[in-house]
Amino acid sequence: MKPRRLAAIGVAISAFLLAACSNSGTSTPSGTASEGNQPVTLTLSGWSLSTTPEFQTLADGFHKAHPNVTVQLKEYDATNYDTLLTADLASGAAPDIITMKNVLHVATYVQGGALLEVSSVTLPSGISGASAYVIGGKPYAVPYRLDSWVLFYNKDLFKKAGVADPDGSWTWDDYMNAASRLKAGLKAAGSTAMAAYEHTWQSLVQGFANAQSPDANILDGKYAYLTPYYQRALQLQNEGAQPTFNTATANNLTYETEFGKQQAAMMLMGTWEAASLLAQQSAGTADTFNWGMAPAPQYSAATAGTGSTPVTFGDPTGFAINAKIDPAKLTAAKEFLAYAASQDAAKSLAAIGITPALITPSVVSTFFAVKGMPTDSLSKFAWSTHLTKPENPTSANTATVQNILNSLNTAVMSGSQSIGAAIAAAQSYFSNQVGNA
Amino acid sequence: MMTTAESAASARPGTRRRSRRRMRSYLIGWSFILPSLIGFGVLTLYPVLTLFYISFTSWDIFGAAHWIGIANYQRLAGDDLFRTALLNTLYYCALTIPLTLGTSLSLALLLNTKLRGVTFFRTAAFFPYITSIVAIAVVWNLLFSPQYGPVNEVLRVVGIAHPPGWLTAESWAMPAVAIISTWRDMGYYMVLFLAGLQTVPKELHEAARVDGASAFQRFVRVTLPALRPTTFFVIVILTINSFKVFDLILVMTQGGPGTSTLVLSQFIYQVGFTEYHFGYASAASVVLFLLSMITTVVLFSVNRERETR
Repeated sequence: MKPRRLAAIGVAISAFLLAACSNSGTSTPSGTASEGNQPVTLTLSGWSLSTTPEFQTLADGFHKAHPNVTVQLKEYDATNYDTLLTADLASGAAPDIITMKNVLHVATYVQGGALLEVSSVTLPSGISGASAYVIGGKPYAVPYRLDSWVLFYNKDLFKKAGVADPDGSWTWDDYMNAASRLKAGLKAAGSTAMAAYEHTWQSLVQGFANAQSPDANILDGKYAYLTPYYQRALQLQNEGAQPTFNTATANNLTYETEFGKQQAAMMLMGTWEAASLLAQQSAGTADTFNWGMAPAPQYSAATAGTGSTPVTFGDPTGFAINAKIDPAKLTAAKEFLAYAASQDAAKSLAAIGITPALITPSVVSTFFAVKGMPTDSLSKFAWSTHLTKPENPTSANTATVQNILNSLNTAVMSGSQSIGAAIAAAQSYFSNQVGNA
Repeated sequence: MMTTAESAASARPGTRRRSRRRMRSYLIGWSFILPSLIGFGVLTLYPVLTLFYISFTSWDIFGAAHWIGIANYQRLAGDDLFRTALLNTLYYCALTIPLTLGTSLSLALLLNTKLRGVTFFRTAAFFPYITSIVAIAVVWNLLFSPQYGPVNEVLRVVGIAHPPGWLTAESWAMPAVAIISTWRDMGYYMVLFLAGLQTVPKELHEAARVDGASAFQRFVRVTLPALRPTTFFVIVILTINSFKVFDLILVMTQGGPGTSTLVLSQFIYQVGFTEYHFGYASAASVVLFLLSMITTVVLFSVNRERETR
């Protein structure tokens, strides 16, 4: 090839690269934005759309109520959702409506001016989780889903072990007693199942400790209140009532398999496990057995029992509006947020096994009418009645603190450090990291 | 005058032609390197230069970056977690570099002989390097499982009643990661050493043998000195790669148990991508860059000194 032709190809490639770089600034409007009955297209961020039907359910439900508005879903990778979405928000390429997968970064988004304030969206009374999105007295998102943590239990394994089902009045001492009796009973019955399965997440110990311990606050840097919760967790694994943290880590145990394949009689988990278990059972990847939900064990008897409101934890999933939204689409976007928080949306979500942020008697009926859901009154009570405290308080320091507490969790649960030493290290890191930030 | 004017007139078109030719070859030269230069500039040089700038700001990804001078570096100096990550990185380097160097050189020496099936063994030794990091994590997690893992089963059989907790114990997690890293990378460095071994003159070995040198003496006096350029290259690459170890830590331990395997890259990732303190994370990245740079410069000067000796 002649040098001149080669040179021409080189220049053409360079021009193409430059053009490709400069094109990133331009964008095509995704729809005709307008008021009234003119067609509007809203874009909405989501993840794993094929296995997470809630986005399409809400998009369809809203379109039915507002035929001129179409909600288009933009799929993100579930694992890297926060990172990818943050990059899109910062570069101005994010969708109109932002699904807040977790509340860890709300403060950062708001401080960065990425979200619009949504105080004009009216929320139904009784909705939970709205306070997670309030910063400086103003709301920046509305919750549509809130999975609180409850106790899932296998009724067949309880029966086999000769242990009475939970009655909703359990404190942590009752839970420990039940675990001991289950362990002995299952062994005597020739079962290889464990009394309990405690997944490796820090939430399993810290979530309950943070929510239930008096005056606990992860943002004040004092973590002595975690001690009894870790003592119990270590006791259970040391006694062989549940797989050890190290075994669960080394063997990559999944909570879905441990409970779904009847390897554990009890498991503390968020209410998403109900829909997940049903899906697994219908796909044949989980056994079919009788199961139920009970309130999470309580710090004291004061909040235990079906006459009380058990304390647990959980973070909402919500929708926010991108600050860079086309102003002509704003009304439609706010209407979508109001719809997502409404009872109609809550019922549509409950009908596919999802726990909405708004729970009313008709939502409870819809949820428990799903084929395969337990029908006992304790499951209904556990699912619908609780005081759900946030796992991640809304603060710019929450992500840093959770990283510190995660190190504490792995150090204690792996048996690498004593509880006291790990707490002291976490407190030291807190004062160093958050104090110097 | 006439002659001068004529010669000047006749010289001018020639000069112009020459300069046009020079310009053309100059442009052709640029057009050859321009595509990759633009790619390098946009994707590497610009981000790296920006990183230096961001390290002096409090940028949290949203909005403009606010200049805060050396505040990020001052904060790093008093940050216990950063210090832990730095020490862990040095510990990892101290374990991995000699271990990988030793095993890859031994493997290369072993597979440089005329063994039967040597090609198969060379390929087999290279396999770990091209294996998916996630698969490596899953398999080694099982192998190192403290209760049921085959490694500890073997140790119990040979009489070690309390074998290490490996990845689940603070004191053993880093050595375990170093072992896995060595296993993964030794094939790659073995190939480099094998290439280096082909350049060792056979005459030197023959002369040494005639002089009565033992195999060990020939290795120390002939092979190692002849391999010096390869060894130097391997040490430099190995050192830089060890300083920036990330993938293995992320999939194997995520920095745990506790903070026992938290390395600088993981610290940067944590501060940047989970806490969104990009200014602070950039400052830590600059420290990592300087650390790699200084070590490389030191290695180069040591090597130059030895060569001139």
